[in-house]
Amino acid sequence: MKNYVLNNINIRIELGQIVAIMGSNGSGKTTLIKHFNGLLKPNEGFVKVFGKDTRDDSVAAFSRRVGLVFQNPDHQIFSDTVWNEVAFALKNFGFEEEVIKKRVKWALEFFNLIQYKDTSPLLLSGGEKKRLCLASILAWDPDYIVLDEPTVGQDFLQKEKLREVIKMLATRNKTVIIVSHDVEFIWRLQPRLILLSNGEVAMDDTCANVFQNNVLLDKCGIVKPQFVELFDQLTPLLTHPPLDVLEARSIFLKLMKKGE
Amino acid sequence: MFWFAEGLIYRRQDSVFHTIDPRVKLFVSIMLFSLSLLSNTILEFLIILSLIFFIGVLSKTLKRMAKTFVFSLSFLAMVFIINVLVGYDIMFSIIISLRFISVVSSTSIFFLTSSPDELELVMKSFHLPYDLIFAFVTAVRFVPVIMLDAIQILDSQRSRGLEIEKGNLIKRIKNYLPVLIPLIVQAIIRSEELAEAMESRAYGYSKKKTSYYSLRLRKRDYFAASVSICFMIAFILAIYFLHI
Repeated sequence: MKNYVLNNINIRIELGQIVAIMGSNGSGKTTLIKHFNGLLKPNEGFVKVFGKDTRDDSVAAFSRRVGLVFQNPDHQIFSDTVWNEVAFALKNFGFEEEVIKKRVKWALEFFNLIQYKDTSPLLLSGGEKKRLCLASILAWDPDYIVLDEPTVGQDFLQKEKLREVIKMLATRNKTVIIVSHDVEFIWRLQPRLILLSNGEVAMDDTCANVFQNNVLLDKCGIVKPQFVELFDQLTPLLTHPPLDVLEARSIFLKLMKKGE
Repeated sequence: MFWFAEGLIYRRQDSVFHTIDPRVKLFVSIMLFSLSLLSNTILEFLIILSLIFFIGVLSKTLKRMAKTFVFSLSFLAMVFIINVLVGYDIMFSIIISLRFISVVSSTSIFFLTSSPDELELVMKSFHLPYDLIFAFVTAVRFVPVIMLDAIQILDSQRSRGLEIEKGNLIKRIKNYLPVLIPLIVQAIIRSEELAEAMESRAYGYSKKKTSYYSLRLRKRDYFAASVSICFMIAFILAIYFLHI
């Protein structure tokens, strides 16, 4: 029997959704997202982006609509300045000079990197490089934004900001697909969650439902977020796991008032 | 895209040839390499290439060896065409091309069937300075790692709209810059990190390094070495006395 990296994958991702893909190491997460802009083509079956099969056009053509941010920023940074690094893709896609200027400026300001515009991107810190990669993809305004491990090496504030950016993108009818091991980050986003196990979709449901499935979580080596853990411990008292500290606080205050 | 490099990378495999002492494998490789330089007729090259083919079958590396061969075809064509253009006759150009194939495939025999650890042990047995051995073995060991890096960098830049194969020759060469720069930067960062990691684990603390494995010649190694020596002597005698 042939050994497939991915098998029986049958998913449809609509515009405006936030989708998280989780799974243990080697479960095929990165391989799956590389299919979204045609970097990899399926041996059998098909991947369609806006109705077009990824085999029918170049990676560049699909990348215009599907922006992929890779895990390791050092795998993409090469320009002499931060400004040129962001402008690189825009030049490849043939944007007008004026538009490039506007978009690069917007992206650098948005990610708080404008003060480094003339410095070498290689001199930035790990977190800044990661933000630079995000900026260089968001600059051309793709419809689908695929992020591979975006929270690695980011401090708390940057993670918060990233979460806001993802939510803001979703409200602008963009789709954000996140590959991550960071359960706390994913829990706060409450996305649709696709769980991969050995190259197959083990579960595709809401975040809350997936984190209730203990058997599957164990199988995929995923630890529950702390709020879900808290809910498990206090199941008879709580009706649903709190989303964040504020919600937990108000639930507990209510319970205390009831005298439970 | 980097499929050709498969022909240079060691993979663990269960074959008779893999279990032979690496010193004997190195000897076989060098012997075939030298005989390729000595040979001058098509028949001689056919004998050498058949032996390489036989070793390929024995070590189950024929498929990967063929990849190197396919990759070297373009160089082969270049060698052939230049020789013909310079004015040598067709026969001589064919012989030079055959020599090129024999040299390339005889070298890959050793690297396809010996792990970097074995390479290290062989170099140690020649009492070379350890720093030199370490540098060389690390370079060999990092070939697949750098290859993977190159693939990821290429994926990353293609996702930003870079089309490597687009444009005229100069444009195409320029297209490789966004791939080459991160690759070199990564290699430098990695070497620095490796140096720090090695120093943190007491590299260079004692002059005499002990080894977990040691090389010991067994019956099959003696047998393989004797067969190779006999073949080499017979081949040289045949070249000079029988003029095959």
